[in-house]
Amino acid sequence: MTWLKLVEGYMPMQMISELGLSILVFVLINWALHRAGMGVPKFWAGVGVWVFIQLYLKYRIYPPIPFSVRAIYGTVSACGIFMWVSGSEKEWQEFKRPILNVMDGITGFHKSVRMAALFVIPLALGGFAYNSFLPSFEEPIELRTVHPAPPATTKVHGKTFVLQVVQNPYRVNADGDYDQGYTDARIVEQAMGRLMKDVNDPNYNPWDPNAEGYIKYVREGGEIFFQNCHFCHGDNLNGRGLWAYAFNPIPANFTDAGTIAQLQETFVFWRVSKGGIGLPGEGFPWASVMPPWEQHLTVDEIWKVVMFEYWHTGYYPRTWD
Amino acid sequence: MGRLRSRQTRKNILAVSGLFAMGSMLLLPIFVALPVLAGGGASATGGPPPDVVAAQEAEGEGEKEQVEVGRDVYYKTEGPVVGAPAPKTEDTETFYPRYNFESRVLLWVANQQHLYYGSFVLAVPIFCMCIEFAGLITKDKAMAKKYDQLAYDFIKISLTAYSLTAILGGILIFTFLTLYPAFFGYLSSIFRPVMHIYALMFVAESGTLYIYYYGWDKMKEGLLKWLHASMSVVLNVIGTVLMFLANSWIGFMMSPAGVDEQGRYLGNIWHVIHTALWNPLNVHRILGNMAFGGGVVAAYAAYRFLSAKNDEERAHYDWMGYIAMALGVAFLIPLPFAGYWLMREVYAYRQQMGITLMGGLLAWLFIIQATMIGILFLTTNYYLWQALGRMTGGERFQRYIKYFVFILVVGLLVFITPHTIVMTPAELKAMGGQQHPVLGNYGVMSAKNGGINAIIMTTVASFIWYQRGNRVPAVKWAKFGNIFLITFFVVAHLNNIWVACYGYFIPANVRIGLSIPQVAGTLSCLFIGSALNLAMLRQSKELGPIRWGQIAPRSQYALIMLATAFTWMMGLMGYIRSSVRLFWHVNEIMRDNSPWAYTHTIGFGANVISFNVLFFWITILFVFWLGALGAKKAPVPATQPVPGGAPQPATGH
Repeated sequence: MTWLKLVEGYMPMQMISELGLSILVFVLINWALHRAGMGVPKFWAGVGVWVFIQLYLKYRIYPPIPFSVRAIYGTVSACGIFMWVSGSEKEWQEFKRPILNVMDGITGFHKSVRMAALFVIPLALGGFAYNSFLPSFEEPIELRTVHPAPPATTKVHGKTFVLQVVQNPYRVNADGDYDQGYTDARIVEQAMGRLMKDVNDPNYNPWDPNAEGYIKYVREGGEIFFQNCHFCHGDNLNGRGLWAYAFNPIPANFTDAGTIAQLQETFVFWRVSKGGIGLPGEGFPWASVMPPWEQHLTVDEIWKVVMFEYWHTGYYPRTWD
Repeated sequence: MGRLRSRQTRKNILAVSGLFAMGSMLLLPIFVALPVLAGGGASATGGPPPDVVAAQEAEGEGEKEQVEVGRDVYYKTEGPVVGAPAPKTEDTETFYPRYNFESRVLLWVANQQHLYYGSFVLAVPIFCMCIEFAGLITKDKAMAKKYDQLAYDFIKISLTAYSLTAILGGILIFTFLTLYPAFFGYLSSIFRPVMHIYALMFVAESGTLYIYYYGWDKMKEGLLKWLHASMSVVLNVIGTVLMFLANSWIGFMMSPAGVDEQGRYLGNIWHVIHTALWNPLNVHRILGNMAFGGGVVAAYAAYRFLSAKNDEERAHYDWMGYIAMALGVAFLIPLPFAGYWLMREVYAYRQQMGITLMGGLLAWLFIIQATMIGILFLTTNYYLWQALGRMTGGERFQRYIKYFVFILVVGLLVFITPHTIVMTPAELKAMGGQQHPVLGNYGVMSAKNGGINAIIMTTVASFIWYQRGNRVPAVKWAKFGNIFLITFFVVAHLNNIWVACYGYFIPANVRIGLSIPQVAGTLSCLFIGSALNLAMLRQSKELGPIRWGQIAPRSQYALIMLATAFTWMMGLMGYIRSSVRLFWHVNEIMRDNSPWAYTHTIGFGANVISFNVLFFWITILFVFWLGALGAKKAPVPATQPVPGGAPQPATGH
């Protein structure tokens, strides 16, 4: 279902709101039907809501949600529905009635359903067992560690960096001192289109010829990015570069809240320096083709490009104090 | 009359003196050990104590140069090297003697079982203390007796468990000595100044517990009853100190301090104990033990409820299950906040340790943990909704259950959405990258904080429902109070959602700080909401009695599930905490060179945890059975009517 768009920036809340509204509509319809003496039996109401949630997750949300997550959501929603239908004794009895009716075979129809169940359930289980034993040619499921823990120290161009304490030497204020607050105030605003705060101000626009200090280093980082990185990571830093789809997985999307926004700047420095080949054992299955950029860039260039990535995406590097 | 009183006074004085003497004897080990604590302890591995070192220093410059000084890896202070370096082990029989089985798994099982029982016997006396005091201060004599009986029932269960704890502790030490002698030797050399204090405290704990239990009937009235209740305080102080000491060992293994880079002890035992993670671990474990203990006792009550032969027993164990569940959940609610603090300190201590835990290798285990937390809260809500069924008027609230279910389910779905999704390469390609543009947002801390806070606030609201089950506030300002209460909860939920969304647009350190208003909203619901509700119910119209014992059996299965989930989660979290050291016995100090210095697969880990849970529950069922055996001997007035459906306490022990 793509005619009703998921709006970038609002998608998580949109999904919850849509689900909530749908449930509310169900409640209202059921209430109206109940008033008219045609209330939906609890059993079918429960089954209906569960099926609706599964269909919503499968067909409404795009890109498609992997099966493992849909399975989790399906199980949790089933538990929730059980809690609802058995919340009070009266409702629980109402919910159980169709099941007990079938098991007791109180009418001819119930008997035929019971007889059908006698065949369908074992056959379904048998089919499931048969399928699970069939050889599969699908690629196996991977539990990829996207952000493995970095080492305590890393050596780049012969110099050892203690990742816990080292700071980006270019993240400085007008006096040349390390100042995260100063630089945070000069990143682009995190909105659709990611806007610069004041294009005419050399303190905010890196491409202003009068830009100095931090904002000038951002420009230099940007130049390095567009000379080296954007082919894969994209000119909007969203992982959709020219060559991105030659790889699986495609390169990291820096605009996503789950990538650089979750990491310390030193982590990004380490990952850029060492590339995919430098991933530790924990980074199984090491699914990254990023080259070790220490072989192509200087330490200063790596710091600058990392800083540009944060500036452009509007995210702040993670800090602990 | 006067003679009688003077005899009673003499008896009281004698009892007080006796108890004082006993208390002094029990606490003697602490006082004996105090100079050791203050002095930083004697040599850990045979070197001179600091005062001798100081004397040697005073002898002259030449002598002074011989005293090697080391730098504390954590505190960065300098101190005399008085210990041997951490052994550099090799994969040989000398360092790692073994059976034809994985030593680590054997140690894991021994450790976990000891921990389960240890937690239980440390938590239950705290409950006893609270319940006994509740019985002492209540003016209703019937209720006072009920509380007293309940406290006695609690301690009776823990007594057998206490013996098992000691036995399992012995097994654990033997496992350490036989399978990891080099590591255990090093650890005990570092902690030598407090090892014996630990053992002596255990003796003190045993003595106090036995006097507390066996003195129950003798000290049931007047001043003696107060003394008896005070003994529970002493018991819990000793228990807590014991746990803090044990925590210092695991704190040292995770975030060592008080040693130099080679692992040589620097003479300051306080540094060794007071490591970066010690206090967060202490707080987290106290709360965890209490929640776990409440869960186990609730399961015991459920077991007795389901096997009850008459309404009277059913009523008593229904009530017991409720009290135990309420106590457990009372400590479960702040547990996520304590866990948050612990993780924050882990990140502050070592970034890579934090990432391994929450973003890397062990991240999926945290998703399982989140699922278990969700199960705990959902089960608690479910139990409370079922409990409304035994109250006249409770059905007023049951029609709104579906809305609460929606909030709980959405909160849980957000809370358990993984950051690193398990998927096939084909799914990965279809998704267009590792992060899902919609669900990826649920995988980060800002959303998860929102999810868990929504769940906790809903649980608080369920408790308020429960308190009102059979009562209608009759205070003049009831209408205003209700509007205020509803508005308060709505605003707290809106604040929670807003902060969760806003968290995406601010730096991480500000976001972490922003969790304070989020938590404040939740805690305000808990404290202000509950207090206001109680104030409103001080004058209330009762719609009917609570029909204890007339609760749906599925509520009791919910209690058993609650306890099982607690047990499983404890096993899981213990595994996570221990695994995060990866290939270190003592982080960055002593490397684990055994063949098992690798991280197990999630499936294997889950199987061992499940085995531990199963083993614990089989053995605790034995403990329950023993408890039931004792109860059969107690005179139960079976023919006595149950006033108002309330349970009647047994008249003696």
